[in-house]
Amino acid sequence: MSLVGLFNVAWSDYAPALRDGLIKTLEFTAAGFAGAAVLGLVLALMRLSPLRLLRLPAALYTELFKNVPLLAIIFLTYFGLVSVGVRLSVFQAGALSLVVFYASYLSEIFRSAIAGVHGGQQEAAEALGLSRRVTFAHVVFPQALRQALPGTNTMLVDLLKSTSLLVTISAAELMSQGQLIASETFRALEVYAVIAVLYFAVCYPLSQILLWFERQVRAGVPLLPRRRRRMRVVRSMLEQDAVA
Amino acid sequence: MSITRAPGEPPHLAVRIEGLFKSFDGRRQVLDDVHLNVPRSKIVSIIGQSGGGKTTLLRCVNLLERPDRGSIEIDGEPIFSGERVVRRSLAKLRQKVGMVFQRFNLFPHLTAVENVMLAQIHGAHVEEREAMERAVQLLRRVGLGHRATAYPEQMSGGEQQRVAIARALALRPTVLLFDEPTSSLDPESTGEVLRVMRELADDGMTMILVTHELPFAQEVSDWVVFIDGGRIVEEGTPLEVFQQPREERTKAYVANYAAHFEGGLEEAERVMGLKPAGTAGHQS
Repeated sequence: MSLVGLFNVAWSDYAPALRDGLIKTLEFTAAGFAGAAVLGLVLALMRLSPLRLLRLPAALYTELFKNVPLLAIIFLTYFGLVSVGVRLSVFQAGALSLVVFYASYLSEIFRSAIAGVHGGQQEAAEALGLSRRVTFAHVVFPQALRQALPGTNTMLVDLLKSTSLLVTISAAELMSQGQLIASETFRALEVYAVIAVLYFAVCYPLSQILLWFERQVRAGVPLLPRRRRRMRVVRSMLEQDAVA
Repeated sequence: MSITRAPGEPPHLAVRIEGLFKSFDGRRQVLDDVHLNVPRSKIVSIIGQSGGGKTTLLRCVNLLERPDRGSIEIDGEPIFSGERVVRRSLAKLRQKVGMVFQRFNLFPHLTAVENVMLAQIHGAHVEEREAMERAVQLLRRVGLGHRATAYPEQMSGGEQQRVAIARALALRPTVLLFDEPTSSLDPESTGEVLRVMRELADDGMTMILVTHELPFAQEVSDWVVFIDGGRIVEEGTPLEVFQQPREERTKAYVANYAAHFEGGLEEAERVMGLKPAGTAGHQS
C-alpha cells in the first residue's frame, strides 16, 4: 500500500472532534494530576507521621491502589459505585479514578523526597528558632520538591497517556474520538496512527518542557517572582557600594 | 581569672550550667554532673577526645539535645530546670543562641543572602528590606559580600562556613555555639574561618567553642575546659590547661595532639596559618 493510499479519511470533517477530544484529554489530565498531587502529599505526610494511627491507613491505601490496575478502578468507580447508589458522571468517575490511582504512586515519590532531605537541615532550622510550619514550608518542602520533580514529571506524562483507558467508559477524550472515527470510516490503521501521533505530539513537548523546568530548578534559577526581585535588589545594593 | 568559681562577682553570665546529666538509651552516661559558667564577652573552648561529651554539652545549651536533669540559664533566664524545659518558647531561646555546625548545614536551595535572611523574616519577623540589608552587611563582615547571590554548592567549604556564621549572627544572639566548625575543612578554609571567629572574639562576642584546633583554642579562649567520659576533668586558662596541665588525661591529650606536628604547638599554629612562617624556628 502506498503512503497516499493510507490517507483516505476526510480529516477536515473530523478536526473538531479531534480538537474536542484533545481538550477533554487535557482536562482529565489536569484534574487527575492536581487531585493526585494533593492527595499524594497528604498521604506522604501521613506516612511520615510519628502517629501509627495516621501511618497505617496511608500505607494501606498506597499498597492497595498501587497493586490494582487502573482499568479495574475505572470500572469500579463508573459501573460499580452505581449499585451502591453513587452515580458519578463520566468526567467525575474518570477523574476520580486517575486521582486515587496516581495518588498512590505520587505519595511514594513525595515520601522518599521528604525523607531524603538531610537531617541537618531540620536541625539547622530548629537551631534558628524556626517553627515547624516555617521549617516545612521554607526548608523541607522546597528541597523535597527538587528531589520529587523527575519522578513526578514522569508520572504526569504517564497519567496523560493513561487517560486513553477512559475509552472504556466513552469519556469523549482523544481515544474515544478515535474509536468513533474508526467505526465510521472503517480505517483503523489510519485513524489510530493519527491518534497515536497526536498523543506523541502532546506528550513529547510536555516531557521536554518538564525536563527543561527540572534543569532550571537544579541550576538554582529563582522561579518565584518575589525571589527574583530580591536577588535584583541585592545585586543593586552590592553594585551601588562598588561604585561608591 | 576564674570563671567557674567567682565568689561575689556579679554574674553577667551568658550561660550558666549546673549539675547537668545526660545519658543515651538510659545507659551510656554522656554528661555526668557538668558545671559550666560562661560570662558575657568571654570565649570558652571545650576540648577532649571524640565521644567524650563535648558536642552533647554544646547541644544542650540550645536544647537541641535534652538533658536528663540539671539546670541551664541563658542570660540569667532559666530554660531548663530539674528534668524539664521551663522556657515556654523554645524559638525565642534559640534566637538568643546562635549555632554553627561542623557540616555547615546551609539551606542548599537558597542563596547565601537568603540563608542569612530566612530566620530574620520567618522567625523574628523583620521587614524584608531590613533583613536584606542586615544580611548583606553580615556577609560583608565575614568577607563574602561579593558571594551574596551564590548558592552553597557554588561555594568552597570555608565560604559556606562563613555564610553559616553570618546566618547564626543574623538574629543578634547573646551567645554563639560552634560545634567543631573547622573539622570538615581544608587548612586554607580553616584559616579563613578562624580569622572570622577571631574578629568576632575581638568584637566581644560570647562564644562556646567545641574544637580540635588546640592552637586556636589556646589563642582566643579566655577559659578552656577539658572534658572526658562526660566529666570536666580539668579547666583553667589556656596557659594552665595547655602548658601546665595537672591531670594525667589532659597531659596525654595535649601531648598526643602536639605529637601530630613535629614542631609541637608552635608548628601546628604555623601549619594552620595562625602564625607567620618563621616563628616556628628551624622547622621545615
